[in-house]
Amino acid sequence: MGPTSRNHKSSQKDVAPNEAKPPRYPQRNRSITASASASAFASPAVANSRVAKERPSSSTAGEGEPQETVLKLPSIPTLPARMAKLVPLEGLGCEAAVGSLTPSREREYKVTNKHTEGRRPVYAIVFNFLDVRYYDIFATACGPRLSTYRCLMNGKFALLQSYLDDDMNESFFTVSWACDIDGNPLLVAAGSTGIIRVINCATEKIYKSLVGHGGSVNEIKSQPSNPSLIISASKDESIKLWNVQTGILILVFGGVGGHRHEVLGVDFHTSDIYRFLSCGMDNTVRIWSMKEFWEYVEKSYSWTDATSKFPTKFVQFPVLCAEIHSNYVDCTKWLGDFVLSKSVENEILLWESITKEENPGEGHIDVLQKYPVPECNIWFMKFSCDFHHNQLAIGNRDGKVYVWKVQTSPPVLIARLNNPQVKSAIRQTAVSFDGSTILACTEDGNIWRWDEVDHPTAPVPSKKQK
Amino acid sequence: MASSSSKASDSSSQRPKRPDQGPSGKDAAGLVALHGKLAQLKRQVQSTRLAAIKERVEANRKALQVHTCALFDVAAAAEVASRGAEGGNALSRGAAEGHRRFVGWDSASGPGERELVHVQEENLVAGTLVLSSSGGSGASHRTVVQLVKLPVVDKIPPYTTWIFLDKNQRMADDQSVGRRRIYYDPIVNEALICSESDDDVPEPEEEKHVFTEGEDQLIWKATQDHGLSREVLNVLCQFVDATPSEIEERSEVLFEKYEKQSQSSYKTDLQLFLDKTMDVALDSFDNLFCRRCLVFDCRLHGCSQNLVFPSEKQPYGHELDENKRPCGDQCYLRRREVYQDTCNDDRNACTTYNMDSRSSSLKVSATILSESEDSNRDEDNIKSTSIVETSRSKITNSEYADKSVTPPPGDASETENVSPDMPLRTLGRRKISKHASKSNDHSPDKRQKIYSSPFPFAMSVLNKQSVPEIGETCPDSIESAVDQLPSLDDPNKKISTKDMCAGSTTNTTENTLRDNNNNLFISNKEHSISHWSALERDLYLKGIEIFGKNSCLIARNLLSGLKTCMEVASYMYNNGAAMAKRPLSGKSILGDFAEAEQGYMEQDLVARTRICRRKGRARKLKYTWKSAGHPTVRKRIGDGKQWYTQYNPCGCQQMCGKDCACVENGTCCEKYCGCSKSCKNRFRGCHCAKSQCRSRQCPCFAASRECDPDVCRNCWVSCGDGSLGEPLARGDGYQCGNMKLLLKQQQRILLGKSDVAGWGAFIKNPVNRNDYLGEYTGELISHREADKRGKIYDRANSSFLFDLNEQYVLDAYRKGDKLKFANHSSNPNCYAKVMLVAGDHRVGIYAKDRIEASEELFYDYRYGPDQAPAWARRPEGSKKDEASVSHHRAHKVAR
Repeated sequence: MGPTSRNHKSSQKDVAPNEAKPPRYPQRNRSITASASASAFASPAVANSRVAKERPSSSTAGEGEPQETVLKLPSIPTLPARMAKLVPLEGLGCEAAVGSLTPSREREYKVTNKHTEGRRPVYAIVFNFLDVRYYDIFATACGPRLSTYRCLMNGKFALLQSYLDDDMNESFFTVSWACDIDGNPLLVAAGSTGIIRVINCATEKIYKSLVGHGGSVNEIKSQPSNPSLIISASKDESIKLWNVQTGILILVFGGVGGHRHEVLGVDFHTSDIYRFLSCGMDNTVRIWSMKEFWEYVEKSYSWTDATSKFPTKFVQFPVLCAEIHSNYVDCTKWLGDFVLSKSVENEILLWESITKEENPGEGHIDVLQKYPVPECNIWFMKFSCDFHHNQLAIGNRDGKVYVWKVQTSPPVLIARLNNPQVKSAIRQTAVSFDGSTILACTEDGNIWRWDEVDHPTAPVPSKKQK
Repeated sequence: MASSSSKASDSSSQRPKRPDQGPSGKDAAGLVALHGKLAQLKRQVQSTRLAAIKERVEANRKALQVHTCALFDVAAAAEVASRGAEGGNALSRGAAEGHRRFVGWDSASGPGERELVHVQEENLVAGTLVLSSSGGSGASHRTVVQLVKLPVVDKIPPYTTWIFLDKNQRMADDQSVGRRRIYYDPIVNEALICSESDDDVPEPEEEKHVFTEGEDQLIWKATQDHGLSREVLNVLCQFVDATPSEIEERSEVLFEKYEKQSQSSYKTDLQLFLDKTMDVALDSFDNLFCRRCLVFDCRLHGCSQNLVFPSEKQPYGHELDENKRPCGDQCYLRRREVYQDTCNDDRNACTTYNMDSRSSSLKVSATILSESEDSNRDEDNIKSTSIVETSRSKITNSEYADKSVTPPPGDASETENVSPDMPLRTLGRRKISKHASKSNDHSPDKRQKIYSSPFPFAMSVLNKQSVPEIGETCPDSIESAVDQLPSLDDPNKKISTKDMCAGSTTNTTENTLRDNNNNLFISNKEHSISHWSALERDLYLKGIEIFGKNSCLIARNLLSGLKTCMEVASYMYNNGAAMAKRPLSGKSILGDFAEAEQGYMEQDLVARTRICRRKGRARKLKYTWKSAGHPTVRKRIGDGKQWYTQYNPCGCQQMCGKDCACVENGTCCEKYCGCSKSCKNRFRGCHCAKSQCRSRQCPCFAASRECDPDVCRNCWVSCGDGSLGEPLARGDGYQCGNMKLLLKQQQRILLGKSDVAGWGAFIKNPVNRNDYLGEYTGELISHREADKRGKIYDRANSSFLFDLNEQYVLDAYRKGDKLKFANHSSNPNCYAKVMLVAGDHRVGIYAKDRIEASEELFYDYRYGPDQAPAWARRPEGSKKDEASVSHHRAHKVAR
């Protein structure tokens, strides 16, 4: 099954002959705007995120100071190998709650629009959740082109900007939103060439090009409470943490305890600024922590020397390595402290890692819920959630979208969106802030839009708009 | 829940007739009932589980909501902050225009109208995107959007994340290419499974079923109600995914867990570790410490190395330093002083320590005593007080111990020899009293002396205890005890001597004696022996090996906090005497303890000579290249040379014979082998004058070995300027030129974009011909693993495999150094050479000609004729990455 799926994908991907991976995942940006300058934000957020926000600003303040003071940091010893390798526990009393495939029809959706982006597959589509002003803006990646659109209330799209990479061999697999410290929306995208493009959408200019990955980049996410930080998952078996503000490569996650094959997906924790997830072709999901290296993150904000001189650190061991799937894991996402992950096995799993406090190396995975998604057995199919993680949308190979109510037990299928015209595989979905609009991008280069029937307003809290 | 539990109680109420029938009496109805009950219990467990999930998900949802709301506030704050400001919405301008740039369906026409056509054209020349729509409804419009160009940025050549290694590492167990690894082949469009045949499948360790709580409940319930018969097990099997035997096992575990929970007999941590023998305690040391690299957790030689003990051990002296000072209050030297007087007569009576006959037990004592004659007599008086004091506490201790200890089975000879060891005169006297009960001649005196001991406390205790043994004489002597206090030395000496004689004679009647041995002294001794835990004993033996019979050093270095010097000393003499007697007295005479001791010694010997350690980790060694069934073609890769053979130290104790592992493998014995230096199979090193060693005249160089300062006569290095009296560091002309790998004297290598293909390695400073540049490091993997990886690498067209020797291949794919990026050339400026450095094969890269600064490095990969990738076969093309797929594994080989 895995194999076929892969074949499927590669055959579909006519774009990059060498690169067999079309990324199409839904990037819902969960990242929120907190531009880092936001010391003004009286965020009631979690302590963690507050800390995160303050630190950058403080480091900015210290920019004028002699650098040595910043550099005097004690060298951090590399962590010992204490990675936990966990497998799910099976048997009576450990069953997962499986959702029924009968739609509850809690919400009704209908197709309202379709836009043909091009002839190449659209691999990524993502709303901007970082800034309330832009909640109705989404971005897509199609071949060497990136576009931003506004979702209008009447079911229409308005094309805002379109960027074209001069390297026509580029095929963008992923796109994400970020912010500079002034709150300007940044579009971050990368693909087959491995170069991460950071575009300032306010000025419509390329802001940075981050070179460093040794292979194509499969997914980029930005840190919700600290949106200058992005992580990128790459074919080179590593995950890299960047500061797009300064263009610095802060940390590299890979090596002895790292992924053994391409990394396909990453996701920042919603509230814990230190942790993130990664998943990849080695069938594992790993949880990483940058807590011990946080000072380098702080340092990256105030770094004024050449970016190449930054003391980039290697993080070789994740906190945890979960072996719950038996095939490529191509999408994973935090749901609070639980994890959603998806392999090419026609279902999404919700699980929690249970480790012993006294011995974090031991424990098991507790699979809590399963969300079946028929005909979803090719890889590089990504799901997305609305802002509050209430509902999840995932497309399948036949062009259907399954909308799950993700935080109920047992899971409820809200709706199955199908339209006879949507025939090709849906690589990624995007769910609007409140879940009333669902976008899907397909292998054949289209963007489809579903709106909730009888929903009074447009996809976004439009009251805030003007 | 309530209902289910009531049902459960219902069913249990039906049961009472049956329970006593036992498993065999179960009838079908019982099983049916059991089945029903279990099914119900299972449902109950499942519903509990679902409820628990629901609860957890809900809790998680609430927590998450707090976070997302917080994030929303953050997102909204940006908007608030920008409100009122000009251009607050960076996208507003575009958005305003955007209203004219509708894409997709016109909402008026509604979805699904086929006539509506939207076309989006990219005009790359003009850099515009033209959106046009035309449809049946007529309203067609064109929109032109300016495309923003993203300028081309220089790419870097592809690579996979790798870790720097400064020395080779053996592959970790979990780094093997899994047998289930599937990968997609872009060319053939098929999925390939990388494991070849079924022989990959082994891993015979079946996964054991892990029982969940729910399953435990089922099993417990079933076994409680119906016992553990075959039928019950079968029923359980339907509910639990495990084999009957596993269930049975589990039920016993559960039984113990539930029934015996209360009887928790736990030991303190200290006792726990003292209970282990040293072999066990040292297990991790033996497993983790690399004796070749002198580091723990050596990644090169791995864990579970064969333990090789060199046959030539330093002999240790039996005698102690003459002028040794006591090491502390509890030093046996103090006891010696006490005995000084008593020894006078026996001085020189015996000079050897070995004893061959039972009659020599006296000599043992004498010898021991004579040892103490050297100590300074003058100190006696000063110290005796403190000794006595310590002795008192000892006595009390032993008193307590005695209450619980049953009469010791220890043999008389031991008793005999112990007596001189004990630091106290009082002890000696007490011992005498024991014999007194046997031989009446001595008894009066002895008893008196016992009670003349200056310690009322000890006396009273003694009194209570020894009443049964010593008899009615006690009360009398108590009275006189205090009076006789001062008179100690002379009588004591005589009596103890006599007593020894008596003791040795009483050996013959040991049985009776043993019964009577239950006096204070014996119990004291028994006490101390019983507290010599296995670990302490082992440590003691090690100490003997290391320090000789020096109880001070042993106690201080190995038994610190566990045993005092005196205890060690007394143990030592006990033990020595017991062992010395062993040959004659036979087992019947030996105490249990001595027997155990002997057993241990034998076992220890066995342990040292065993070749394979049992730990599972050694499994990785199983893959030898011979068993892997390699194509014979591979042997030719060696470019006409025979394969290097991996060296493993042999454990031969003397000279290596035919069955020496090294001889069998065809390797030389090295300094790590157990055999003696005169072993004929040893590599003797070179005697090159001036330590040049850079030509084939040097035997080391000729054998592709680096010189070893431990082995070669003139090859050595030094540091410092000689001011501390060390030999002067020699200049370059004198320093051995054949130790560069060992000393890591490499050149600075730079990594950059190759002029030829992908990445390349460059040299920073100019070097001369045959200069050593650096080492090609990587993971050491078996040939079998290399074959698996090679398949994958060949698909990706970049292989960093390097044949090292017949057991290992170096793989620099994930771990290595910058030299792995040096490209292939048929006209190279470097060459690779496998050198044997301190028993390990390592790959050095050497300059073939003079190389100028910042030149790119190339060497000939020396692929086997039919293994070279296509590009390597072309005369000029030395490009690694543009090669077409080779269907053989590409290996680099040294010359």
